[in-house]
Amino acid sequence: MSTLPALVAGLGHPDRGDDAVGRVVARWVALRAGPMVEVVQCADPTDLALLWAGRARAVVVDAVASGGGVAPGTLRVLRTGAGLPPLTDQAWARTGRGGTHAFGLAAAVELARSLQRLPEEVTVVGIEAGGFEQGAPLTSWVGSAVPRAVEAVLRAAMGKDAVEPAR
Amino acid sequence: MTDEPTDDRRVLTVGTLARVEGEGGMHVEYRDGRVTDVQLRIYEPPRFFEAFLRGRSYTEPPDVTARICGICPVAYQTSSCWALEDACGVSVPDAVRRARRLLYCGEWIESHSLHIYLLHAPDFLGYDGAIEMAADHRGLVERGLRMKKAGNDLLDVVGGRSVHPVNVRLGGFYRMPLRRELLALRPRLEQGLEDALATVALVAGFDFPELEQPYEYLSLRPETGYPIEDGRVVTSSGTSFDVRDFTRHIEEFHVEHSNALHARLDGSPEPYVVGPLARYSLNADRLSDTARRAAADAGLGAVCRNPFRSIVVRAVEVVEAFHEALRLVDEWQDGHDPSVPVPPRAGEGFGASEAPRGTLFHRYVLDDEGVIQDAQIVPPTSQNQPSVEADLRTLVQAWHGLDHAALTHRCEQAIRNYDPCISCATHFLDLTVENR
Repeated sequence: MSTLPALVAGLGHPDRGDDAVGRVVARWVALRAGPMVEVVQCADPTDLALLWAGRARAVVVDAVASGGGVAPGTLRVLRTGAGLPPLTDQAWARTGRGGTHAFGLAAAVELARSLQRLPEEVTVVGIEAGGFEQGAPLTSWVGSAVPRAVEAVLRAAMGKDAVEPAR
Repeated sequence: MTDEPTDDRRVLTVGTLARVEGEGGMHVEYRDGRVTDVQLRIYEPPRFFEAFLRGRSYTEPPDVTARICGICPVAYQTSSCWALEDACGVSVPDAVRRARRLLYCGEWIESHSLHIYLLHAPDFLGYDGAIEMAADHRGLVERGLRMKKAGNDLLDVVGGRSVHPVNVRLGGFYRMPLRRELLALRPRLEQGLEDALATVALVAGFDFPELEQPYEYLSLRPETGYPIEDGRVVTSSGTSFDVRDFTRHIEEFHVEHSNALHARLDGSPEPYVVGPLARYSLNADRLSDTARRAAADAGLGAVCRNPFRSIVVRAVEVVEAFHEALRLVDEWQDGHDPSVPVPPRAGEGFGASEAPRGTLFHRYVLDDEGVIQDAQIVPPTSQNQPSVEADLRTLVQAWHGLDHAALTHRCEQAIRNYDPCISCATHFLDLTVENR
C-alpha cells in the first residue's frame, strides 16, 4: 500500500487565457490541502510518469476545449487508473501537451501504465475553456468556475467522487 | 500508409508521419528500382511569424518567436537576441553569455532525450512507439524521462519555466539564477551525465543500415568549446563566414509540395545538412574529454556520415550538454548584472545559434525607434528538407527489394534521423492577398 500522498497536478500554460486554469486551481488546492495531498504545477505531461511513481491516487486538472457548444466553465470529470480503461485520444490527447507534440495527457497516462507507474486512481478534472488568447486573464466564466473546480479536485484527492452527488 | 502499385510503378505514401514534431507526410515513387519522385510533404499550415513581427517593437522577438516551437524555444530566444543586439550595436558581457549557454544546455538535454528515447529508439528496437517499448524496456524509458526532466529542471531554474521560458530579455535576463539554486540542481545533473553515458553505450549497439551522406555539412564553430549558443559558420568544404553574411550564402526557396521553405548553400543544387551530424563532424575536436571518450567508445570517428547514426551523435551531445552544464554551474558566481541596456537604433542585425536540430538563423531590420521593418528566420528543418529527400531517394534505390511495409518504415526512420520540427519549419511565408 502506497504511503505517498495523493498528487494533484495543475497543467497548462500560465499566460494563455483559460489555459492557466489548471495552475490556478492547483494553487488554491495547495492552500487548502492537508499533508496527504501534494500539489505541483506542470507544463510537460511527460513529467507525470515520474511524478506518479508509487502513488495510489492522482488528480490532474486542466483546461479543455470540447467544442459542440459546451458552456465555458462547465466541469468535466474523467477517471482512469491502473485497473481502469485508458483515456480516449479524443478526450485529452491534444491538450496539456506542453513541450512536445508527440505526448498529450492520454499518451502520458498510457506511458505511465506501461512503466507500471500509473496510480490505481487517476481523476482528470477539466474546465471547459472560453478562450486561449495570449496574455489574457481567465474569462469570467472560467474564473467563476474555479471554486467548484477546487472542491472537485479536493474531493477526488481524498478519494471521494469529484462531483458531490445531488441531494 | 497506402501502397498503390500502378503497372510497374510503385508508390510509398505516409499521409501523416508519426513521432515527428508537427504535421507532415512523405511520398516516394519509383519504377524498376529507380526513384522518380520524392516529396517530404509539409502541410502544417504556414504560421506567418515573420510577417506579424513587422511593425512590432524590437524588444518582442525573444518572446514572440519562442512560441514558434514548444521544444526549442531557447534557440529562438537566443538567435533573436543575438540578431537584435547586433542591430543595436550591443555586445553582452561574459556572465550573460554563460547564462545563455547554461539555459541552452537544458534545452539540448530536454529535446535530445525526448527524441532519443521516446521518438527514435522505438525504430531501432522494433516498436511502434515509446508506450509499447516501455512495457518491455521499462528501465530505458525511465532513464530517458529522468534525463528529460533534468533538462526541464535546468530550464525552470535559469529560464523561469520549463516550456517557453520567461526569463530571457534583450541584453540578457530579467534575473540571474543564484549559485545556491544552481548547486541544488547538481545531483540531478550528475545523475544525468551518468545516464547520458549509459545512453551512448546503449544506442551504439543498435543495428544501423549502411547509408553515407555525401552532402555538405554546415554548423557554427565558436572560438572555444562545442557549438551551442554562438559561433562563426563553417562548412565541410572549408568555407567559413560570419553569421552577418548568412544571407549572402544561404538562399531560401519555395517548392510546391511543402509549406516550409527549402534552402540552398552558395547556389549549389546539392543539399546541405545542419544538426548533430554536421556539428559533430565539424567540431569533434571541441568536445570535452568525457564526451570525446564516449564518442570513441561508441565507434564514432572524427566525421560521421551515416544519418542513421545520428542517434549516437545526439547521445554524445547529451553527454556534452550535461558535462558543460556541470562546468558552468561549478564556475557560477553571483553578483553579475542580469542584463545590459540595448537602446534602439536603425540598422540590420544577424544572429545564429545551434538549435537541437541544427543552425537557426535570424535577421531583423529596425528603424531608429526600434520598430521592426523586416524579419527573417531560417530554421534547421527548412534547411534539411532537401537532404531528407535525397536520403529517401538513395535508400529507396538501395533497398527497393524490401517489401513495402519494411521499406516504408525505413523511410520514416530516415526522416526521424533528422528529428524534424515541422512546426518550426512552417513559421514562414509572407501572406499576400491581391485584390483584382
